[in-house]
Amino acid sequence: MRLNVNCFLLLTALMSGNGALADPLRDDSGWLNAMAFAAHRTNYSGTFVYQDGEGGHVDVSRITHILDAAGEHERLEGLNGVPREIVSSNNQVWLYVGDRKIRIQKRHDARTFPALLPEQIATVKENYSIVQLEEDRVAGFHVHTVLFKPKDNLRYTHKMWAHTNSGLLLKAVVLDERSRIIEQYAFTQLSLVNDIDRSWVLPKEAEPEAPINLIAQNNPSLELKTQDWQVDALPAGFKRTMEVCRPMRNRTHPVAQLVFSDGLVGISVFIETTREAANISTGLSNRGAIQIFSKVSGDKLITVVGEVPPRTVMQVADSVRYTGQ
Amino acid sequence: MKQDISTLMDGELFEDEAELVLNKMKKDKATHAEWETYHLIGDALRQPDHVCKKFSANFHERLSAEPTVFAPRSRVKKTVRYFALSAAASVMALALVAWLSMQVATEPVSIMASAQPQNEIRAASYSGPNGVNDYLLAHHDYSPSTGVHGAASYIHTVAEK
Repeated sequence: MRLNVNCFLLLTALMSGNGALADPLRDDSGWLNAMAFAAHRTNYSGTFVYQDGEGGHVDVSRITHILDAAGEHERLEGLNGVPREIVSSNNQVWLYVGDRKIRIQKRHDARTFPALLPEQIATVKENYSIVQLEEDRVAGFHVHTVLFKPKDNLRYTHKMWAHTNSGLLLKAVVLDERSRIIEQYAFTQLSLVNDIDRSWVLPKEAEPEAPINLIAQNNPSLELKTQDWQVDALPAGFKRTMEVCRPMRNRTHPVAQLVFSDGLVGISVFIETTREAANISTGLSNRGAIQIFSKVSGDKLITVVGEVPPRTVMQVADSVRYTGQ
Repeated sequence: MKQDISTLMDGELFEDEAELVLNKMKKDKATHAEWETYHLIGDALRQPDHVCKKFSANFHERLSAEPTVFAPRSRVKKTVRYFALSAAASVMALALVAWLSMQVATEPVSIMASAQPQNEIRAASYSGPNGVNDYLLAHHDYSPSTGVHGAASYIHTVAEK
């Protein structure tokens, strides 16, 4: 089937004189690399609609991304309901909700490499079958469609529409194993120009609503040793890519975060010393395709967050164990 | 007593038993508070835009502020009647919630909530900027999907929930 689709596309490309497929980057997994590169190296500004679940709530947002000599600057502004927006500049992120201004500071730069590493591409290929589907149009732009179908039911299917010329992701749908839509977004308007108004991505003056507890940040004795924690029931193909002990707001102790990746999506496991019972919540919740599951285990609160189905985050949370002394 | 309140709300108590429980609630503030908590759980389960924390107190306040027309009843009677109505309404509400949970199989929150009502009551603050967003943004920093989706992946924090 996959061969047929490719033959068809090649034929179409030859007939239309479109050279896109001749580009070595444009093989099945090459699109993923092109999308990652475009997401961080393209100047764009546009409007997109987002829907959480099939027939769920629809949000309209305005998005701007600028790359200049000082680095990457982004702004995402919700246009419905209570004003919410995120402004980021390299490794600093500001979140505004209504009148509240919450400043969040990142501790590292996760964006040093916009392109995916070859190992990551290989990992994606191990865990998903990648199929190029029909060419299409989104927001007036010609796009290529790529389907990432997982090889087990512990992760979601991802369908992506990438702009043929730049590789920028213009539409994305996440589906469960019964092909029900978990979430989707699509640009309705997009401008790919370099002279975007910079004032758009400047953070507003704001004091932090709840500053990070600096005592916790500077006290190594409070830190959890990430290497003392083991996660047994990860779906096949998830590899530990990062571990950090980070301060978080409203907490006296830093929080350990272990990150696992299957190349396409991530699962974060947060481990923290439990706070007062009134301030914590356990159980399952979600934000679109991101599932969040918390449980108390001994004197620790375990929270698992990932772009994976509910059963996966629950299974992962149940398998977290302490292996230290 | 907790069991009794729960059974009352499920509509499984006989009339005389229900009366005993309702009478106990009238006299005992703690029991009354439990009753209200159970209703708050029911409200939270339906995930409305607003969950009213002091419904009963507000209701009484407004009720007593209303002008009295013709043959006023004694206060005690009025209260009993209110409880009875409230119990009937809550049974309906819970039935609706249970029915919704059965229907909307794709909504894991509701299912979990009906299994663990004690957890769900805290969900309102959990979804606020102090709870889930901290985890989401921390996850966002390192998830490979951020690499592909770029700034659009912030939508999980920005979208209304």
